[in-house]
Amino acid sequence: MSRIGVFICHCGENISRTVDVEQVAQAARQMTGVAYACDYKYMCSDPGQTLLKKAVAEHKLEGIVVAACSPRMHEKTFRNAAQAAGLNPFLCEMANIREHCSWVHDDRAEATTKATDIVRMLVERVRKNKKLVPITVPVTKRALVIGGGIAGIQAALDIADCGHQVVLVEREPSIGGHMAMLSETFPTLDCSQCIMTPRMVDVINHPRITLHTYSEIECVDGYIGNFSITIKKKARSVDMAKCTGCGVCMEKCPQKKIPNEFDKNLGFRPAIYVPFPQAVPNTPVIDREHCTKFINGKCGVCQKVCGPGAVDYEQQDQLVVEQVGAIVVATGFKLYDITEKPKGSAIKGYGEFGHGKIPDVIDGLTFERLASASGPTGGKIVRPSDGKEPKQVVFVQCVGSRAREKGISYCSKVCCMYTAKHTMLYKHKVHDGQAYVFFMDARTPGKSYDEFWRRAIEEEEAVYVRGMVSRVYQKGDKVVVMGSDIAVGVQVEIEADLVVLATAIQPRDGADTLAQKLGISYDKYNFYSEAHAKLRPVECATAGIYLAGACQGPKDIPDTVAQASAAAAKVMTLFSKDQLEREPIVARVNEKFCVGCLACKKVCAYGAVEEKEIRDRQGNLIRVVAYVNPGLCSGCGTCQATCPSKSVELDGYTDEQVMAMLDTL
Amino acid sequence: MNNSTEKAEQAVTIDISGYDVATAEIRSEAKRLLTEKIVDAVVGYQAGRRKGSAVPVIITDPAQAEKLLFSPACVNNLSIYLTKAKKEIRAKGKLAVVAKGCDLRALAGLVGESQFKREEVVIIGVSCAGVHRAGIQPGEPLTNSTIAKKCRECSVHIPDEADLVVGKLPPLPDLPPKEKELMEKLDAMTPALRWEFWKEQFTRCIRCLACRQVCPFCYCEQCLCDRGRPQAVDTSPRPSGNMGWHIVRAMHLAGRCAGCAECERVCPMDIPLNLLNRKMAEELKELYHYEAGMKPVEKGPLTSYDEKDDQSFIK
Repeated sequence: MSRIGVFICHCGENISRTVDVEQVAQAARQMTGVAYACDYKYMCSDPGQTLLKKAVAEHKLEGIVVAACSPRMHEKTFRNAAQAAGLNPFLCEMANIREHCSWVHDDRAEATTKATDIVRMLVERVRKNKKLVPITVPVTKRALVIGGGIAGIQAALDIADCGHQVVLVEREPSIGGHMAMLSETFPTLDCSQCIMTPRMVDVINHPRITLHTYSEIECVDGYIGNFSITIKKKARSVDMAKCTGCGVCMEKCPQKKIPNEFDKNLGFRPAIYVPFPQAVPNTPVIDREHCTKFINGKCGVCQKVCGPGAVDYEQQDQLVVEQVGAIVVATGFKLYDITEKPKGSAIKGYGEFGHGKIPDVIDGLTFERLASASGPTGGKIVRPSDGKEPKQVVFVQCVGSRAREKGISYCSKVCCMYTAKHTMLYKHKVHDGQAYVFFMDARTPGKSYDEFWRRAIEEEEAVYVRGMVSRVYQKGDKVVVMGSDIAVGVQVEIEADLVVLATAIQPRDGADTLAQKLGISYDKYNFYSEAHAKLRPVECATAGIYLAGACQGPKDIPDTVAQASAAAAKVMTLFSKDQLEREPIVARVNEKFCVGCLACKKVCAYGAVEEKEIRDRQGNLIRVVAYVNPGLCSGCGTCQATCPSKSVELDGYTDEQVMAMLDTL
Repeated sequence: MNNSTEKAEQAVTIDISGYDVATAEIRSEAKRLLTEKIVDAVVGYQAGRRKGSAVPVIITDPAQAEKLLFSPACVNNLSIYLTKAKKEIRAKGKLAVVAKGCDLRALAGLVGESQFKREEVVIIGVSCAGVHRAGIQPGEPLTNSTIAKKCRECSVHIPDEADLVVGKLPPLPDLPPKEKELMEKLDAMTPALRWEFWKEQFTRCIRCLACRQVCPFCYCEQCLCDRGRPQAVDTSPRPSGNMGWHIVRAMHLAGRCAGCAECERVCPMDIPLNLLNRKMAEELKELYHYEAGMKPVEKGPLTSYDEKDDQSFIK
């Protein structure tokens, strides 16, 4: 006969308002196996926990049911209390009479009956609970950072500076990300390149950072502390060990008219190229799609002129496997291409803005390249159509963002600030020019942010028009912007020389595919989901994987850097231990009954089920059964539900326990 | 569930001369496979004690190949001899097995469920026009009144996926389906009436579990319905336990059963078990465009997740 203690919490009034807790306690005292029951206002508080610990000693309790909130909330709290009282923590279970009962019912009598039933079921479960011991797994103290923008760079440097090895993977030929493309940054107007490029050099020079550029994540195996990552290094066609970065190949390449993606197609680049002069690594890559040698085999100039003989047309994609213990995902963002209307998506596009058709309608990043000293115009602001200096520029905010009917309801967060910055950069370069901004409202929370925005209006004379733009069209060499000024209540038409659209921030293409490889969750826009919006903002729900930067949601540079350092701190916390403790709620296969159909292996989302050979003493194979790797198992129970012969049991949730819970009703 | 239309149907006799061709070819092939040591044993049919009957046999000696035969009495689905439940047979080494089209579909399912690897087994497929239904005197000719219900609606007379196909298929008579009619009758019932129908059927069940023993997919080391702690299904032949057993059986076969209808053939209480299997198969086909046993698949629709799956049932 077991001696179980039942502790019923009022949760302030959250539970006691609807459930008669004293009556539940009274009923609990009559239940088989219950030696003690009581109720208390805040069971999770220090006096509440003390009550529990004292009762364990006084009544020689062997198991505990805490009837309170969800186990997600306080299971850990009470298991720790049980452990402090000398019990195995896994003999303590939560009966959720708040979320599952008091919060969702009005009728006091019925809610009390239901709460009693929930307690009765949990008592049955605890009667059949077994002592469990946490599983320990070793930790590989080496981190993977996915994405070489400012978020990835910051996280990689922080972790590496702390003495751990870091593998940094970047999809593009160079690290730097979007920040390397920016001109000057708000709210201080310091040059983006000047603060970014030294960090990039720190990365390549760091003795503990292994950099894989022009590479992608092919496959992710393993679990927290023990990931095995397969990385596809795309064929660069240039041997990185031999290349000195002299640049002769790029000068001599006869293909000179390929639109330069880094300059948002405003300039051109050769087929063998580095994305920008300050690229890290400074090793060119051959764009095989546009290279004459790869198209028809009739060139080979770069190979001939290369002194060290680094150009290698035969180079193949290469797979590299890296073992790591933690992963930081920092894959960043892309700008919403408003010309596209993806099929089957809620995203509707903005055909009425003429983007993609009218050359002088550009997006914010294109304006950054125009204003950048290292850009295609050397920092001179000109119209893409005729190269003339624009005298009237219209900026439009919230293009795509906060437009539920167009498919994106979130705020892109950075556009108010960067548009204010754009008006200033423009005014600084075109003194007689006039900037207009169409905006819904200005969102400028952040240190020195509102002051910055006020400065754009009050000192740099940008004209802010509160209202939406309905149409943009070409008229002669002007671009006409039609919109409304809701402050005055009139329609406005501005004949502009250049229109700059602050288009929404979206996750990078393929963010969903990567999430599926990593086994992390993402929202309907493909932004990665944190484990808890407030209390666990940098962790994924999948253990050992952390988030940094705009891949989780729109973010400016300071927020991104802060989150990257936070993710690095989480990785370092993980690496501070040699062994990891995992909850022992894992599935176990009864090898006597398992018939090896491996249905469990097929349904396991964590790759935790393996085949195991059963051999006799002579080593002859008798049969193959399933085996659950406790290090990988997350205790979801899918295998248990799938097994046709019921040969899998989940510790703490055995069939016997579940049946006993049902039988008691 | 015997149908009154049976009497109205005109007598049709099916030409089974091709079965003798099959017998000769099975014998020579078995002999060759055993002599050349390509396999260690052949699972086939031999004559039973009663004249005209046939029973499963496992032979290991090429001299015994002459015992093998194929006739309308070869009703058993021999694929059960390849499952892990029959370890003593698997222990003989590499096997060859005689398979009708319906049996072959079970074999494909078993490959998908890791019970054996395709390359471990030589499949001797038989061109089959049909076999006897349950309760027919051995040696009777194969006619529209002696043929099994499943054979009237067979779509796999020639097992193409076998390693070789023996026998010759006669011209097939056009036999109106019977099981389909029954299915339609059941589908037309209200849920309450259908429940009554099955309750009545399962009340007769004596829990002999012949349906389990003969099913190629019931190969568990220990059936969950035999377990005591916890007891999932009442083991005595009482209505609630009977219902529990048959629901478990139907659910466990969904997406797996390929319709050999052996369960129905062996049922001493004449419960139309294949109707349940077939209904589950039709649901699978409708929901997931999936038919069990058409080819070995690693993941069936019930052990895989596709976000495009119909989720309208979640409300």
